[in-house]
Amino acid sequence: MNSYQRVMGTLTGQPVDRVPVFAVLGAYGAKLSGASLNRIFTDPASYAESQTAVQTTFGLDLVMTPFIYTFISESFGGETAWSEHQVPNMKRPGIGSPAKLLSTPMPAPEDVPRLSFILEATRQLAKSYREKVPVIGVLPGPCIMPSLMMGIGPWMETVLFEETLARKVLDHTNPFFVSLANALLAQGADCLVITEAMATVEIAPRALFEERFLPVVAQTFSQIRGPKVFHHTGGRINHVIDLLPGLDGLAGVAIGSRDDLGEARRLVGGETNLIGNLDNLGFASSSATEIYEMSRRCLLEGAPHGHYILSNSGADIPLSASPDTVHAMKRAAEDHAGARREPHE
Amino acid sequence: MDSVSWSKRLFAAMVGADRLGATDIIDQVLAEGMDPHTVISEVLDPAIVELGRLWEGQEMSLSQNFVASKIAEDTLLKCIPAGSQSQGTKGPVVIGNIEDDFHSLGRHTVGLFLNAAGWTVHDLGNDVPPELFLETALKVGASVIGVSAMMQTTAHNILRLRHLIDDQGLAGKLKLAVGGAVFNWRPDLVAEVGGDGSARNAISADGLFTRLDRESREVA
Repeated sequence: MNSYQRVMGTLTGQPVDRVPVFAVLGAYGAKLSGASLNRIFTDPASYAESQTAVQTTFGLDLVMTPFIYTFISESFGGETAWSEHQVPNMKRPGIGSPAKLLSTPMPAPEDVPRLSFILEATRQLAKSYREKVPVIGVLPGPCIMPSLMMGIGPWMETVLFEETLARKVLDHTNPFFVSLANALLAQGADCLVITEAMATVEIAPRALFEERFLPVVAQTFSQIRGPKVFHHTGGRINHVIDLLPGLDGLAGVAIGSRDDLGEARRLVGGETNLIGNLDNLGFASSSATEIYEMSRRCLLEGAPHGHYILSNSGADIPLSASPDTVHAMKRAAEDHAGARREPHE
Repeated sequence: MDSVSWSKRLFAAMVGADRLGATDIIDQVLAEGMDPHTVISEVLDPAIVELGRLWEGQEMSLSQNFVASKIAEDTLLKCIPAGSQSQGTKGPVVIGNIEDDFHSLGRHTVGLFLNAAGWTVHDLGNDVPPELFLETALKVGASVIGVSAMMQTTAHNILRLRHLIDDQGLAGKLKLAVGGAVFNWRPDLVAEVGGDGSARNAISADGLFTRLDRESREVA
């Protein structure tokens, strides 16, 4: 059973040889391939090679398209802060106000150099891994997308104090979100992970998400022609997780490390796939043994119900994390499967 | 109505994210003749302290905190004459995001609340080199530098400021407050980057800065 079959089997509730294992290792690929972060995030071939290095080293059950949201900012005139120690970040947004954003045309992703890099890297990954390892595309959710164009402060202010204007902004930016999602799928992404910060309890209370953002998510998801995982963006998501099953094309929900996995399962029911929920930041300071134990606890909670993928919860695993910690995740899943089989052998 | 009652009403407006309602409350308080500085210290400040308690219990989101900070800003603008600073009775402080960090929302909110609480805030913005933090603190006579970082990688850049302070023989006299999302997730990071203390949110920043300022004076 290869990774593609394992993941697709899990998502559709079929028997699999072991629980699939995901880890967000975008920038980490540069560390493994020996290329600079600048190189892997500007040269599609170099990025694809870095994901191959990740795949060769760890043999996890995904390869990821470039996870670099600042390129969306750059596509709207923003600036990026580059560093060799972390994933490039948005330095400043390109658009200063909702009014300016409303007068800015939404580009076709294929026409923007920074986004065409992401699409070309996706195409190259799909060429190498089609039906062998799932190619997972990553993009920000529709409700947080304007913050990459105009900055989180102005966007929060618009959302909280100018509801009508916020609605207009989302109506304006949603087609861009949908076209980026569909472009990733068209280039060969098997599934999209959509990180929606507005769904976390740290950002917005349930009522705000349910009334203002969930309809936007539902509307845009129905226009995306492929499976989608709804992702917590590093926060907790259990306060709204029961609202998510039934979204068009929902393949699963990635929960935060501080969400309770058992509670998440109870809230979404048995058929919704759950992904998580190892502490992302813990990777930098924990030993392989500790990560193994944490993984084992997740597996004991999540695996018996099926429809579960073990994963770190959050963005990129820190570059300072030891490779042994990532190996430990996979070993925990393999050992869990072995223990499960033993009684029948 | 006394200041305690007004403060409770303001607190309710903040929790309900009712910015217009809060504005009405402050207008009414001022119309009744309460001194603007008393409005800040006896109406706004206790409401902020109560919000801090809610945040500690993880009962508030960033959205509510954001609205609360705007209400605090609105109140300040109404109570402090245009063109003038706040009372600044608590002294000068320096804040900014450490080098390579560009997540300004939390720092901006901290600045608003510190200003509301009576500090004279020197906000250096994003991507601030450690040398500039120290230089500014010495220039304005600050006893506390507040450094923000959202991510673990940028948080580690704060260590260089710690070393600069120590190398100048200012440890204990010039205090280092650290904050940002990553410190809430990993409290042990405060000591790891050499911080003298941290606040979980903007609302409780005043309490932290007050404590560090007092400790600094005790050393001096």
